[in-house]
Amino acid sequence: MIKRLTLMAAALFALIAAPVFAQGKDKVVLLLNWYVYSEHAPFFLGKARGYYDQEGIDLDIQEGRGSGVTVQAVAAGTANFGYADVPTMIKAASKGAPVVAVGVALQTSPMSVMGYADRNIRKPADIKGKTVAVTPGDSMSQIWPLFLKKTGLSDSDFKTVSGDAQTKLNAVINNQADLLLGYVMDQAIKLQDATHKQVYPIRFADYGVNMVSSGIIVQKDFLKQKPDLVKRFMRATTKSLEEAAKNPDAAVDAMLAANPKSGVKETALVGMKNTAALYKGPDNPNDRPLRVGGKNMDETLALLVEYGGLDKGSAGKATDYYSNDYLP
Amino acid sequence: MQRPWWQRVLLSAWVRPVILVLVLLVIWDLTIRLFRIPPYLIPSPWSVVQQLVAEWPRLLKESIPTTYATLGGFALSIAFGIPMALVIAYSRTVESYVYPLLVFSQSVPKIAIAPLFVVWFGFGIIPKVIAAFMLGFFPVVVSTVMGFKSVDPDMLDLARSMKASRLETFLRISLPQALPSIFAGLKVSITLAVVGAVVGEFVGSNSGIGYLLQIANGNFDLPLMFAALTVLSGIGVLLFVAIDGVERMMIPWHASQRHDLAVTA
Repeated sequence: MIKRLTLMAAALFALIAAPVFAQGKDKVVLLLNWYVYSEHAPFFLGKARGYYDQEGIDLDIQEGRGSGVTVQAVAAGTANFGYADVPTMIKAASKGAPVVAVGVALQTSPMSVMGYADRNIRKPADIKGKTVAVTPGDSMSQIWPLFLKKTGLSDSDFKTVSGDAQTKLNAVINNQADLLLGYVMDQAIKLQDATHKQVYPIRFADYGVNMVSSGIIVQKDFLKQKPDLVKRFMRATTKSLEEAAKNPDAAVDAMLAANPKSGVKETALVGMKNTAALYKGPDNPNDRPLRVGGKNMDETLALLVEYGGLDKGSAGKATDYYSNDYLP
Repeated sequence: MQRPWWQRVLLSAWVRPVILVLVLLVIWDLTIRLFRIPPYLIPSPWSVVQQLVAEWPRLLKESIPTTYATLGGFALSIAFGIPMALVIAYSRTVESYVYPLLVFSQSVPKIAIAPLFVVWFGFGIIPKVIAAFMLGFFPVVVSTVMGFKSVDPDMLDLARSMKASRLETFLRISLPQALPSIFAGLKVSITLAVVGAVVGEFVGSNSGIGYLLQIANGNFDLPLMFAALTVLSGIGVLLFVAIDGVERMMIPWHASQRHDLAVTA
């Protein structure tokens, strides 16, 4: 009788205690801004090399459906960390979303207007008379007027067609449009993969239009409750980005191993290298990745107020929207 | 003796849905206040109304291309749907080959193939008309087939015994008996055609309510988004009521109509 009771007690104890003992690491969900492509390779490298494991983090990387959705998911607590376009996050935050950026990965803008190289559209002046595909409502379409202003173009100089992400790509591939607004390491690579033709991007940053782009965002409550977890995550992520910049090959291999459909090795490598080139901002070239410069953020906020539809009254200061305090 | 005017107003048909809508709006507002739901998740009804009023010119302007695309798709649904349904209803062979394929095609999510329409037909209004057609086609076919198949066989025998020609039988017996069913299908079809037009706009357009929805979404402007959705629903309701009106004119004798009018010729 006593033996049986002891056995039952032991079994019960094991059942209850097992999860407690097995729980060594924090389970964390990182929601990306889009389906996996070369920009996300560093996270896969970090996971494969155990940088997150070493910080006691069990990382679950999930594909997103646009930065807007990712920002809303993080604000609602459905994802712990988000990798999303920081200007999009700023727009949501100014409307009350309780989110903040704890690291900015792309400190130089990846935005560009691109087309196939054999069309010889190399300078803004070449855009005249062409057809440009844009996605209404996305961040590039809102900064496009500033690019036009800085390069002396006007809306009447070219034709515009609008469509969603897939339609833009189809339009350029099928010659319905000459150019599209896209990121240098996303759509450019996809266009090349589809037709094996070279793509030439005219970068917004080259013409004085620079806004930060992707970064790590968290919900403010989460930050208050688990600051240590955030610091560990950012330490692992900073190391992942540094290592990916040094070994783009390994990063791409890790990404393709985890997600074979996310690209093709040769072009994903180009994408990864292009991405790493954007980790440095114009005002702080010696800082480690993810640590953004104050002037850069100020400029981004000013651009959002002037062109991004941000209400000046409720915009506040740039420091309301980001913090470098959780970086190594 | 006639009722007092206020009783007549309260008893009229449109008052009750309006009352229900008002009740729902109050519940919506209370829920937001009680649970302190932030505006970037769900907008308050008042902010939606404000945006409706403020952006009214733009909403009106953008609803025109959407309505055109809807009507175009709907017209195609009728033009292709009814003849096809006739052939299916009158020919067992055609039915056995075609009908299962039609049903199969309904499961294909239109939003997945909509980008292809833009590739094939360009960025004009055609891909939106086709998207509206793809969604509105099936209800028309199904209801028309059912309508023609449920024609009273005794009446058909009677017509044959009176030596009526096939055309006469069709026009005087089959068609009128099938009309109630056809109209039911048309009503479902028009509301789906509105959805189809907007799906087409999401994928490739720089005008229309779908375009406005994308912009509102990109700017986290939920009040504008809800205002656009309200306008879209309004378009659906207006078109539905229009078809209902045509139905009253064409089949006033049917049990589903409220008035007791004299029978047709």
